[in-house]
Amino acid sequence: MNDIHVLIVDDEEELAAVIADRLEFRGIKAQTASDGETALKMIESDPPDIVLLDLMLPGMSGLDILKKINALDLNIPVILLTGYGSKEMTLEGMNLGAFDYIMKPCDFDGLISKIQEALESE
Amino acid sequence: MKEKEIAFIGKITAGVTHEVNNVLASIREISGLLSDILSITSAESFPRKEKFQTSIQKIQNQEKRGVKLISRLNKFAHLPDVSSTEIDLNELIEHLIFLTERFGRIKNIELHTQPAGQSVKVITNPFDLQMALFNCIEYFLKNLDAGGKVFINPNNNKDEIFINIFAEGDFINISQLFDDSIAEELIVLGEITKSLNVVTEYDSSKLSIKLTLPIKK
Repeated sequence: MNDIHVLIVDDEEELAAVIADRLEFRGIKAQTASDGETALKMIESDPPDIVLLDLMLPGMSGLDILKKINALDLNIPVILLTGYGSKEMTLEGMNLGAFDYIMKPCDFDGLISKIQEALESE
Repeated sequence: MKEKEIAFIGKITAGVTHEVNNVLASIREISGLLSDILSITSAESFPRKEKFQTSIQKIQNQEKRGVKLISRLNKFAHLPDVSSTEIDLNELIEHLIFLTERFGRIKNIELHTQPAGQSVKVITNPFDLQMALFNCIEYFLKNLDAGGKVFINPNNNKDEIFINIFAEGDFINISQLFDDSIAEELIVLGEITKSLNVVTEYDSSKLSIKLTLPIKK
């Protein structure tokens, strides 16, 4: 897992930062972005191997970001981070080609497994 | 309460549950990170490692409890979103008991449900039905002595769908049992069941209230 680079997009900055810390602890390089514009800039300048994307973001929504990631045609798997009341958005995200989704609060080992699955599927 | 007021409370409550869920997610990850760090720390370099470990475990247990509560509260907050929908009575009653068992605990009265063997689907107003059942619970909690038990069991057969709410234990004032001209909870119950076309039957010998729901296709 040493060469993996993950981008976490979540406006809950402290949550994103601590998930990044835990990923780093397991040897995964992790960066965070709290909004869509920042995330897209980071993806374009240094494409990650995988994106963990919160759906409920202020401004550009998670689905809008997903569409823009798709348009970049970089073939980056996206795992959606979902909460209550985002069932329809999650389904739409899956239809838009997201690799999978995980409900917050995440089971961290489950998240690691999904990251591995996503990378193996590439 | 008026529909708009109920919707307002529901919307605000649902919004807060989203926020609390994020708080709990942060607690989970922060405590997880502490666990990760502890796992590579030797007991020699950190003499209180075991105490620290059990404390983290306690935080994680409380976080899980919080997630369970907030998830139920979120579902509850969304009840007023629809005025009529198909629900599973097993599930609805289990949710209600989870959310109200604290009221029982305070009075030292246990709340139980025995789900029907199969799912019991009914088309009704889920908010009103929960409120009706809550009034039954409140009635029993107010009138049962400590140590009593209240059961809310859904059931159905080919002709009817019903919920049996019954008590085990001693009543504080048995002479006024199920007097729906005095007990406020039973007066409210009467109003709600009327609006839901639910038939209410009281049986003093069994200390039970039977709510029979209309079968809508």
